[in-house]
Amino acid sequence: MRETPNPHEPGRYEIHLQGHLNSRWTAWFDGLTLSRESDGTTVISGLIVDQAALHGLLQKIRNTGLPLICVTCVEPNPASR
Amino acid sequence: MATGLLQTKLYAPRRRRGLVPRPQLTDLLARGAETKLTLVSAPAGFGKTTLLAEWLSEAAEAGSATAWLSLDVGDNEPAVFWSHVIAALQGALPGVGTTALALLGSSGAPAAAVLAPLINELAAVPGQVVLVLDDYHAIDAPEIHDGMAFFLEHLPANLHLVITTRMDPALPLARLRARGELTEIRAADLRFTPDEAAAYFNGTMGLALTDANVADLERRTEGWIAALQLAGLSMQGRDDIAGFIAGFAGDDRYIVDYLVEEVLHRQSEQVRTFLLETSILTRLTGSLCDAVTLQAGGKATLEALERGNLFLVPLDDRRQWYRYHHLFADVLRVRLLDERPSMAHELHRRACEWHEAHGDRPEAIRHAMAGGDLARAADLVELAIPATVQARGEAKLRQWLEALPDELLKFRPVLSNAYAGTLLSRGELAGVEQRLQDAERWIDGRADAGIGEMVVADAAAFRQLPGSVAVHRAGQALMLGDVAATVAHARRAFDLVSADDHRARGGAAGLLALAAWRGGDLEAASGWYTAAMASLARAGHLSDVIGCGLALADIRLAQGRLAEALTVYERGLTLATGQGGRVLRGAADMHVGISTIFLERDNIAGARQHLIQADELGEDNGLPQNAYRSRVALAAVRRAEGDLHGALELLTAAERLYVNDFSPDVRPVAAVKARVLIAAGRLAEAADWARASGVAVADELSYIREFEHITLARLLLAQGAHETALLERLLTAAENGGRNGSVIEILVLLASARRAAGDAAGGRAALGRAMAMAGPAGYVRNVADEGASATPPTSARQPLVEPLSERELDVLRLLASDLDGPDIAHELYVSLNTLRTHTKNIFSKLGVNSRREAVRRASEIGLLTGTGRGR
Repeated sequence: MRETPNPHEPGRYEIHLQGHLNSRWTAWFDGLTLSRESDGTTVISGLIVDQAALHGLLQKIRNTGLPLICVTCVEPNPASR
Repeated sequence: MATGLLQTKLYAPRRRRGLVPRPQLTDLLARGAETKLTLVSAPAGFGKTTLLAEWLSEAAEAGSATAWLSLDVGDNEPAVFWSHVIAALQGALPGVGTTALALLGSSGAPAAAVLAPLINELAAVPGQVVLVLDDYHAIDAPEIHDGMAFFLEHLPANLHLVITTRMDPALPLARLRARGELTEIRAADLRFTPDEAAAYFNGTMGLALTDANVADLERRTEGWIAALQLAGLSMQGRDDIAGFIAGFAGDDRYIVDYLVEEVLHRQSEQVRTFLLETSILTRLTGSLCDAVTLQAGGKATLEALERGNLFLVPLDDRRQWYRYHHLFADVLRVRLLDERPSMAHELHRRACEWHEAHGDRPEAIRHAMAGGDLARAADLVELAIPATVQARGEAKLRQWLEALPDELLKFRPVLSNAYAGTLLSRGELAGVEQRLQDAERWIDGRADAGIGEMVVADAAAFRQLPGSVAVHRAGQALMLGDVAATVAHARRAFDLVSADDHRARGGAAGLLALAAWRGGDLEAASGWYTAAMASLARAGHLSDVIGCGLALADIRLAQGRLAEALTVYERGLTLATGQGGRVLRGAADMHVGISTIFLERDNIAGARQHLIQADELGEDNGLPQNAYRSRVALAAVRRAEGDLHGALELLTAAERLYVNDFSPDVRPVAAVKARVLIAAGRLAEAADWARASGVAVADELSYIREFEHITLARLLLAQGAHETALLERLLTAAENGGRNGSVIEILVLLASARRAAGDAAGGRAALGRAMAMAGPAGYVRNVADEGASATPPTSARQPLVEPLSERELDVLRLLASDLDGPDIAHELYVSLNTLRTHTKNIFSKLGVNSRREAVRRASEIGLLTGTGRGR
């Protein structure tokens, strides 16, 4: 069975945006990794502590005006491995 | 917030020169003003605010009153939000919303209670009103969305609401859409068309771009206005425009980032530094910029930036306050963080000190937190407590406290205690004990030096800490149901708090009163309530004074002191209605209370009249308990009129609406209902009540359950049991507790029980005592209900086989008037259906078929002359 994310525990997320974001934005996104893909998108990835932090991050992204393509929880409970 | 800063939030941006005219959008907005809500929903940089500013000036020229409010995260508290909305409306409509503003000051008023008077006042305004709420995405408090949904649902026809936001708000949009009450303008509508882009570049910006250039820019930016503006700025004065366009047309980079870089490159080093360093500010003014940049000439720089269209938005007409365009500010902050990571802390520190020195403590706290200086933030929060609590800003205080780490809080007793207070004010127990212990550790010097140093920023607050902690301890004990501990802590608090701390004294006295009441000591309870009301009145907490009055009157009623209870209600009513034309919450409760006393004195018409007045004030004017208390009072009136069925219906509704506060439930609605069932002869159902509530003859008696035990005695009497032992015990208990109201009632019942048991002399003695006490105290109904009244029943005066009831006589009198059905129903405080039932019964008893015949027949037999009762 697929592991479901626990909303109150950290999880590793990937957020895909349309457009390339310069690496200077790393500090703005609290040290998450920014990688620029060849298809013109940016993937923001890293450990996000809980749902509140995830929504805070999405709000920061909204404020850039960059189109949001998808949000995925790639590793629900990295701590409990 | 300082008044000057509030003004910047209410400032509607002016239409700027040389804008690209967008007639199709302003037309859409104009047509949208016919609907309830226009929603302008699109990401940052789509020209929402600019479009609105343009249309709003057209609307104002066309004669509409216009109000503007720029929202920010600081508005996420209902009281703050609505007071700002009202301030915005008052700018356009002086004097509107004063009642609502007053209600916002009282504790716990639900949105509907505050908004109903505002909506009524707005509806009375002649002409159209447009209210714009800019940046609504800053709001995420569900209570505010609920209030907005209520506001929209009841929006007067002459008011039009416009919301701009970056995300669709949590409002019932689908319903509004389905009803055709919503106009939407979204990103697809807002983006510049190629024609508009051409007009912008070649007109406003004075560039000479070819159609192909414009098409490339349009394609690359997808009509995103902020990006087009940045591109325009980058191209001004540039020779190789074609090269510039080619440079980014085929590029995936975040276009705003790219273009801001271009724009910054074209500024002097001094301007570039200024932009980066001031990007941390929510709002900018010359002296603040000087303080943050450690340079002079901030005001001149701001003016130059505005002239250069560098994304600076003026917030007033005097060129004092500005803000950066949100998108631009974010990009600047990213650069600051990236290029000079250690600088941000220092910049926030300077901004914090400037705001603290200029009286804007909340913004100072925001900068201290943003700069990571939590110790400084904790100092400022501590100093901000008195003003924040006075302004009912407990939610804001809580946000601040939650942002501070425990490691810091536990060395700060004033903050720990305030934290406990914010938890208790929301009815939460979890965490209270820990916070209070953290505070107490430093008060009595138990903390040993090993664990660290105590930190106090507000020395005066620390001196008052023992009393304040004791008040919180008492509140905690009360929530835990520990009466003895509540009394002990509240008494200590009362001795500890300083004589001029009226709020704390009132709180402590109120807790002592409540504990005494729950313990059945009515004399002590009334004394403490009187003291609490005096202190709370001095502290200006008038709604709390009225709330205490409700409890005090209940106690006076139990003591059989009807006249004093009436005085309490009348004083409460004067207080609630004597505030310069506005009616405080709780006035309705006072009318309901007066009604119950009138009824006790057998003035049914007067009782009914006060219930009508309470009803006219609206459900929202009542304190939370009024919803059920008003129905219980109306049920009593119905019962007195002989309408037992109506009384039972109302009591069933009252049971549903019962709210439990800390007051003891000394008259449970279920028992009141059982009494009506007994009067209706439905003894089996009344017996069900007795079983369900678990009262028994052999119970140990207590004040709290006295009403239920007397109800049980009534049931036994009705069932024919000659049960006098329970009544004798109840009598002794009531006499010992000084509850004369109960004593009179018990004596009347005892008289019947003794008579039924064959003890006629004992019955007469009990009734004689009851009459002797009831007369001076003003009780009539209590005695009359048991058939001891000397008044002959109405039926004796009616030459009819089946006489009309009191209620039917009331209806008959109104049938003889010019009033129509709905008016009669309103006058009698009944539904149209109930009125029809009464009318049908009257017709059948009089043997007639029409209103006219009924009136004629009634006059013939003398039913329409001199039968008025209590009028």
